[in-house]
Amino acid sequence: MRDFSYLRATSTDAARQAAALPGAMLLAGGTTLIDLAKCGVAEPDTLVDITHLKGLDRIAVDERGATIGALARMGHVADHADIKSRFPAISEALWQAASAQIRNMATIGGNLMQRTRCPYFRDPANFAACNKRVSGSGCSAIGGVTRGHAVLGTSEACIAMYPGDLATALVAFDATVHLGERKLLVDDFFLLPGTTPDREHAIEPGEMITAIAIPGSAAARRSTYLKIRDRQSYEFAAASAAVGIEFEADGRTIRDLRVALGGVATKPWRVRAVEDALKGKVLEPETVRAASLLAVEGAVDHGANHYKIELAPRVVARAILKLGETA
Amino acid sequence: MTKIPVHLDINGRHHELQIEPRVTLLDALRERLGLTGTKKGCDHGQCGACTVHIDGERVLACLTLAAQAEGRAITTIEGLAREGELHPVQAAFLERDAFQCGYCTPGQIMSAVACIREGHAGSDEEIREYMAGNLCRCGAYPHIVAAVRQAAQEFAS
Amino acid sequence: MTVHNIRVGESKRGDASDGTLAEAVGGRLSRVDGPAKITGAAKYAVEQQLEGLAYAVLVESTIASGKVRAIDTASAEASPGVLRVLTPDTIISLRTASDWLGTTPPDKPYCPLARDITFSGQHVAAVVAETFEQAVAAAALVNVSYDETPSIVDLSDGKAGDGIAIDAMTKEWGDAPAAFAAAPVRICAAYNTPREYQAPMEPHGLIARWEGDRLTVWEPSQWLDGMARTYAEWFEVPFENVRLVSPYIGGGFGSKALALSHGAVAASAAKMIGRPVKLVMTRPQTFTGYGGRAATRQTVTIGADRDGVIQSIVHRGVNETSIDGMWVEPLGSVTSIMYATPNFSSKQNVVRVNSVVPGAMRAPGENPSAFGIESAIDELAYEVGIDPLEIRLRNYAEQDPHAKKAWSTRQLREAFAAGAERFGWSRRSPKPRSMRDGNQLIGWGVAAGTYPVRRAYGEAVVRILADGSVEVESSSIDMGQGTYTILAQTAAETLGVPADDVVVKLGDSRFARAGVSGGSRLAGVMTGAVHKAATSALDQLVGLAISDPRSPFHALQANTLVVANGRIGSPRGDGPDVSIAELLKSVGRDRIEATGDTMPANSTAEDRYKNYTTIAMALPHTEGDYSRYSWCAHFIEVRVDEDFGTVRVSRVVSALDSGRLYNPKLAESQWKGGIIMGIGQALLEEGIMDRRHGRIVNNNLADYLVPTNADIPDIEVISVGIPDPHSSALGGKGVGELGIVGVAPAIANAVFHATGKRVRDLPITLEKLI
Repeated sequence: MRDFSYLRATSTDAARQAAALPGAMLLAGGTTLIDLAKCGVAEPDTLVDITHLKGLDRIAVDERGATIGALARMGHVADHADIKSRFPAISEALWQAASAQIRNMATIGGNLMQRTRCPYFRDPANFAACNKRVSGSGCSAIGGVTRGHAVLGTSEACIAMYPGDLATALVAFDATVHLGERKLLVDDFFLLPGTTPDREHAIEPGEMITAIAIPGSAAARRSTYLKIRDRQSYEFAAASAAVGIEFEADGRTIRDLRVALGGVATKPWRVRAVEDALKGKVLEPETVRAASLLAVEGAVDHGANHYKIELAPRVVARAILKLGETA
Repeated sequence: MTKIPVHLDINGRHHELQIEPRVTLLDALRERLGLTGTKKGCDHGQCGACTVHIDGERVLACLTLAAQAEGRAITTIEGLAREGELHPVQAAFLERDAFQCGYCTPGQIMSAVACIREGHAGSDEEIREYMAGNLCRCGAYPHIVAAVRQAAQEFAS
Repeated sequence: MTVHNIRVGESKRGDASDGTLAEAVGGRLSRVDGPAKITGAAKYAVEQQLEGLAYAVLVESTIASGKVRAIDTASAEASPGVLRVLTPDTIISLRTASDWLGTTPPDKPYCPLARDITFSGQHVAAVVAETFEQAVAAAALVNVSYDETPSIVDLSDGKAGDGIAIDAMTKEWGDAPAAFAAAPVRICAAYNTPREYQAPMEPHGLIARWEGDRLTVWEPSQWLDGMARTYAEWFEVPFENVRLVSPYIGGGFGSKALALSHGAVAASAAKMIGRPVKLVMTRPQTFTGYGGRAATRQTVTIGADRDGVIQSIVHRGVNETSIDGMWVEPLGSVTSIMYATPNFSSKQNVVRVNSVVPGAMRAPGENPSAFGIESAIDELAYEVGIDPLEIRLRNYAEQDPHAKKAWSTRQLREAFAAGAERFGWSRRSPKPRSMRDGNQLIGWGVAAGTYPVRRAYGEAVVRILADGSVEVESSSIDMGQGTYTILAQTAAETLGVPADDVVVKLGDSRFARAGVSGGSRLAGVMTGAVHKAATSALDQLVGLAISDPRSPFHALQANTLVVANGRIGSPRGDGPDVSIAELLKSVGRDRIEATGDTMPANSTAEDRYKNYTTIAMALPHTEGDYSRYSWCAHFIEVRVDEDFGTVRVSRVVSALDSGRLYNPKLAESQWKGGIIMGIGQALLEEGIMDRRHGRIVNNNLADYLVPTNADIPDIEVISVGIPDPHSSALGGKGVGELGIVGVAPAIANAVFHATGKRVRDLPITLEKLI
């Protein structure tokens, strides 16, 4: 790890100002940043520790929705009784992420800033080319080991998969991220790689995530997060789906549906095509399976990750059908 | 880079260090304070061997800067037994033979104590999931589950 | 080295569920080193606290083949805290050491930092600094340039070729090709296993300290005397000048038996800067700093009659090795002994690729060998329509088919019976895809495993001290097998003292010498040596009691006395009854010491040195009239999600024959550990190569997946062994490696039963099933 100086922020404003200086970065749970600093990927001059700030870890839930402070930790949100009852998909996405220890460290704000697990991105000593690290340096992943790489939202510059679980659930339920006064949809907060994979988030220097807000809805209340992976636990998704559903009074016809994919795209991946195809339809296994194929429209594989194109629609279908069973 | 003073409260004892800001809590414990019960298995948050408690919650010392832990109560495996009496989780690990080489064991035990305290030891399935962040290559998992179950029942009764 | 003085409540010390006293050999005594491990008091090798310690960090090659053109160390040397940067040009010169057979090495220098690169991740430089952080930061500043040449990535590389035929691996009898051609039922398939890694939780590392020409190395080690020999030869100092200390080992699984190049770097650095140096590999470095299990390819052809009785087995195997090292993974080892066949042929080649030289990993040879033959016989079972358990019994080998000798003991039939009964095998629906639970396809698979009984000579010192307590000393080790505990039990039982009064000291090469702790031989060797030493100490004690004029027993004129629970008395219970301490005091002795040594009586000092520092004197498992193996049968249930292809093991029942168990509680743990590593091998573990860079990319514990707690169900193990007097002094056979052998094929067979898909390439990942 390169040396850096350490600054403990005493207020949100002070943190923002300090972090706006060149070479400065905000330090919250550290589960991404310290890890990447050890990999030689993150090379901060100054770390601005915001974990001692008070009041940014509140979790408030009512019928209108949930507001979660940026410093609330993943484990606490996962176990929060109102989150579990009103936003089961959020709780499930959180407890299936990482490990209990990491969830006790990692904050909600920091989780949104989580970086890809692309092995080429994480190993600058061996793989110099990485457009995400150094713009224009090339992509080592294309043509390499791609089993864990994205099939959706890729570009010629980058195929790195977005590995997070929480944000997948957040985009399904139209959550917003609060950057102080500025608010934007989580879906808009994450950027496609395009020609600038080094820029992953719509956050400006001097800005800091202060909270996320999730609107309450019937679909959020009946929701789930299904995560499929090689190992039963403590692994990133091979494919995952955050799904929420609301039925008409008949209990069979789909009034509202939310679907987002994880583990397969370069950012949290809302799939409105599946939602639109099923809204107004009666929930039947065949209908659901056929519509779920739309989840991977436009997918492009790079060999070893082809299975994700097969897998993702099946995950979506299973999640939808599982929610239907409880109708 | 200049060293900074860092005050750490570990197992109820105060420690004062002059260290570079980049020193992790794990390296502070193992290389500066002689508290080697906390193990380094991967140094990247991938194995759980360095699990300690900060303010009563289980966290990874390898991804925590020592400076960040200032002002918090840190508990390591060395601080778990009180006055020579094993903690019930420690006793259960011994009785159930929940370890072999012993290297992941301090992390497993710190994790297990927290797992029970969090209320995540309600069933074998829940114990397995909430202990999944502590790898054991010797393969003591079934015995770890038995030990956590036993200790949780002792706490409940 | 180690004193375990934390007292534990009575109930935690063990149980006697089988009626055996917990402290006796065969009893379920809890680990005596347990209290130190669960309190954090156990200091592992690199945790020693030394004054003036400096830190070394390795710099590794980033190409797989070529030459180092130049190493620019200027920035690193200018980096804060840096004491020295070591390169091939600046490191001190060492001599080439002999190999583990003790073969006289070529008389040429040895440089642990490479100029000629034969694999990615080879050590090319090292930085020594005042602190760990400074060394890490400076190592990143060492700038190495290369002249790269094309590399051979792995066995599937077009440039790899057929490799080198290893004639010593050829095993043939009858006319296997002709019998195969004539057989009415013929199957032929190829089975592949990838590179797998031991991944012990404690990374490799050491602290090296020189005092004049004496070197002390604190290093996790499965073989203190073997490693001490290598260090001595490298640095051209007498063997006695090197002390290895390894009180606890955080897992080895075969990977910590030899002194490796990183050790040479650290010891060189310590010598160069005149300070103790600590070097610990990063987790990624552990994937290239030493070898895991070699990737293997096998073809197994079986010719059988329509009743499934085997007529011929033709087996061909290939494993990878490195460009300049030789590793043979004996792929015909199980193939040649598991089933009776009148005609047999097995041959093996080894192929050079640009990799670190592969090494030993839990049951080297037997493990991949069993994956081939135990999958193939399952395929034969379906081909002829016979239950997979029944076909194994039909082809049961009543004697060693290769050595043509009687088994010392082979409780495999009993293992099949006990496992099947407990598992409920008779309720199995034979057809693939015929058992399900919702979306989960359920499959039941069986496979057998075996491992040879590796034997060697051993040595131990037993001391009875003035207070009546007992010390056992040996430079053998405990990496979790339970050596501390079973040697305490052996000494306690032999001497008639409570196990609590026995202190076992291991892991210091100043103690009585010991050979390698590998190949599941340690328990058998060391219980024999301790038993012999303790018997000799007891004889001395009783002899003194009878013959010393100052002894209270002197007047008794007894022929013998009895020692029990730390007290001495006459067999009839008449006469005096005194504690060992009282007796020693009365005869004016402060200790009794005996060395137990199972070497032949006429052994020379040279024989002893060879015995303990090489493997050249190991006793063949087919020596004399018997063939000696441990055996097991695994019954495994898997659940395969029909949409996702994910495989989860939901039930395991294994019945194992390790002969007599010295401590069932600890043996069961080792068996289960082997089975769990087998589950990882079957479903998760694979080193994945970037073919352009010739480099493993999943070189960490987030991407090289080993099982978590959530991947493992309850595992039931059943001991079906009986004491085997031909295998060891106290009747035990091997434990540690046996459990893993046969697990992967049992799972592959269960997956076939669940899905109808035969996966012959490990691991069985989801994309192979969707």
